[in-house]
Amino acid sequence: MNAIEVNDLKYRYHDGTEALRGVSFCIAPGECVALLGPNGSGKSTLLLHLNGILPEKLSGDGTVKILGEPVTPENLETIRRQVGLVFQDPDDQLFCPTVQEDVAFGPQQLGLGDVEIAVRVQKALAQVGLAGFGRRATHHLSHGEKRRVCLAGVLACEPAVLVLDEPTSDLDPRGRREFKALLRQIPATKLIATHDLELVVELCSRAIVLDGGSVVADGPMLELLNDEKLMLEHGLERPHILRHQHPH
Amino acid sequence: MHIPDGFIDGKTAAVTAVISAAGVGFALRQVRRELPPRRVPLLGLAAAFLFAAQMVNFPVAGGTSGHLVGGTLVAALLGPSAAVVVVTTVLIVQCFLFQDGGVLALGANVFNMAILNSVIGYVIYRVVCHWLTGIRGRVTAIAFASWCATVLAAICCAGQLAWSGTIPWSVAFPAMATVHMFIGVGEGLISALVFLAVYRARPDLITEMAQTGQPQRLGELVRYGLLVTLGVAVFVAPFACSWPDGLDSVADKFGFSHKMSPLLPAPAPNYLVPGIHWAVGATAVAGAAGSLIVFVLALLMGRWLVPKQTKADI
Amino acid sequence: MSASWLGHQHSQSDSPVHRLPAALKLGVALVIIVATVLAPIQWRAWFIGVALLLVLTAGLSRLPLFFLFRRLLVLSPFVLGVVLVNAFQPAGRDRWLAVAVKSVLCLLTVILVSNTTPFSQILRVLKSIRVPALLITTLALMHRYLFVLMDESERMRRARASRTFTRGRRFHWNTLATVVGQLFIRASERAERIYDAMCARGWK
Repeated sequence: MNAIEVNDLKYRYHDGTEALRGVSFCIAPGECVALLGPNGSGKSTLLLHLNGILPEKLSGDGTVKILGEPVTPENLETIRRQVGLVFQDPDDQLFCPTVQEDVAFGPQQLGLGDVEIAVRVQKALAQVGLAGFGRRATHHLSHGEKRRVCLAGVLACEPAVLVLDEPTSDLDPRGRREFKALLRQIPATKLIATHDLELVVELCSRAIVLDGGSVVADGPMLELLNDEKLMLEHGLERPHILRHQHPH
Repeated sequence: MHIPDGFIDGKTAAVTAVISAAGVGFALRQVRRELPPRRVPLLGLAAAFLFAAQMVNFPVAGGTSGHLVGGTLVAALLGPSAAVVVVTTVLIVQCFLFQDGGVLALGANVFNMAILNSVIGYVIYRVVCHWLTGIRGRVTAIAFASWCATVLAAICCAGQLAWSGTIPWSVAFPAMATVHMFIGVGEGLISALVFLAVYRARPDLITEMAQTGQPQRLGELVRYGLLVTLGVAVFVAPFACSWPDGLDSVADKFGFSHKMSPLLPAPAPNYLVPGIHWAVGATAVAGAAGSLIVFVLALLMGRWLVPKQTKADI
Repeated sequence: MSASWLGHQHSQSDSPVHRLPAALKLGVALVIIVATVLAPIQWRAWFIGVALLLVLTAGLSRLPLFFLFRRLLVLSPFVLGVVLVNAFQPAGRDRWLAVAVKSVLCLLTVILVSNTTPFSQILRVLKSIRVPALLITTLALMHRYLFVLMDESERMRRARASRTFTRGRRFHWNTLATVVGQLFIRASERAERIYDAMCARGWK
């Protein structure tokens, strides 16, 4: 059974923009996959489909299956339990006044008891290295801290699949290094949309390249990233670390 | 227009608190019923937007500056009930965090700026829109409605100050009304320009809101209308009408004015400055003339800002 | 950061006053304000008592004196106005004195409470006294995104200024309106993304 299975997914925005034109791929449990592609290639739109936020009426073309379950209005709750989505702008995701309340938001929606919620919040904050940050106000955090609180908020729901949208954009090199180390420790299946090719090299075993709303390449990470022609064609580039490791 | 604590007395605070609580309660119920869940976070964001927008000052005649109140603008964008909730939220945060407006005066401030301003502004906006269709009509309507709502809210504020015995009506009314007739021009201009800017960049946003946020039945507006009328009847009418000294004569009749006298000093005992009495009448005349002039200006602005071909019905 | 620019950074610091329960602080403040507004000006003892209590609290709260003073100055135009108006009246002195004393005491009370209590705690108190949930949500979201939006508007203003080459003192209504309009559009787009983020974590 696949962790994520997307079949011929199409999506068109209200204004007529065709964001996805028949996307298909599968991801096995435990895999860490990079989703690459230039700006406006449909990466974020695709990620929003993975826990049923798009399409609005859930009657779009194509199917999305999470752990074998198709995403439908009836099982939206189960799907959202299993898929943790970390948004691109941490300010969009951290909507509660304090760190503690924000991390507790997901578990509260799951209907857990107060004791269980407190335990999960503690655990999630410790997991991202922010134990003791609970009472801090969310808008006083640094950008790197905000990112980690976002991750904690998702981890507190204990999802089987973790979907991240540009997790390292706007982070300084140290913040990026720390965030990557954090991601490596999380055992869940991961799909990471990113422009940070170093992150891809360090964390992912496989990459999917999206351009113009369709999958243009899908294969082992090193193979794709070393394909200079493919990379340039789709607004990407061969990362420098690979040039030093694999001189051709 | 934010009244601080200490400027209105106990009875005014109590009456305004009751009317405002009723108005905000009704607005919350209405919003919960009509607003789709997608729009719920928008209330908070619109409040944050209004707060940020109120920080921007614009020049008023004579080197002073005013800032947006925005009740009418928000009502035109999101509907009257949402506007009442949004402006109330802004006022609560301004009161607690930035000490702009008093805690006990919150009821008065909510009534003037959140309820009266939004509801009256919205009603005038709809009436003018009914006459003048198209985006051009909307620009005219919003400019005119914002002006009227600003001036009326200021008059109501003057009434509350006078009823509290802080400033006599014969001074408060001309002063507040005149100043806000000028500030209102800025308010109307900014509101119309902002509305147009939103319309030009994201017409879908306005059309979509127009479908979801506007009241479906007349009943909603009638209830707000009753509340606003009640407030105006209590705060303004006693002074504006020729009844001798409004509520004090009532108090005299029932013979309890001497018992309350330490709590409420009589509004304007034997005022000493001569010639100030005609100021009230003159202000009223100026207000009537002003509203005509502002309407014509708003009409001209609509023509000037919106080219003929975009006169599409939205 | 704009948070400090708005002068609201003190609520996060620590002192004996900061550590008092929020509900107690809000309750006492409300009692003080109501009683002060209602009390006739002849009750000298009450006003002096409140003033002493507030000064003591201010001392314990470790808020900078200059900051408190600057916040109190906000009132000066209002008080001056009332002084001017009432100066021409026979019973005017009592009235402006009452307004001035009462407004200063009430304002100082609110300043002390709001700068020693984080807003999230105030919200929790409001929730416990059954303020409607929709209003609490709206207040929480507004407070959360206030600073984000202020920063956004400041960035837009700077970007505009960096490309404005005329140094005229003319006021650009249209520019201002475009910035405010943009701000509304961004706020409503962000509201949509927040809704998505809430749904993603199982909000119903």
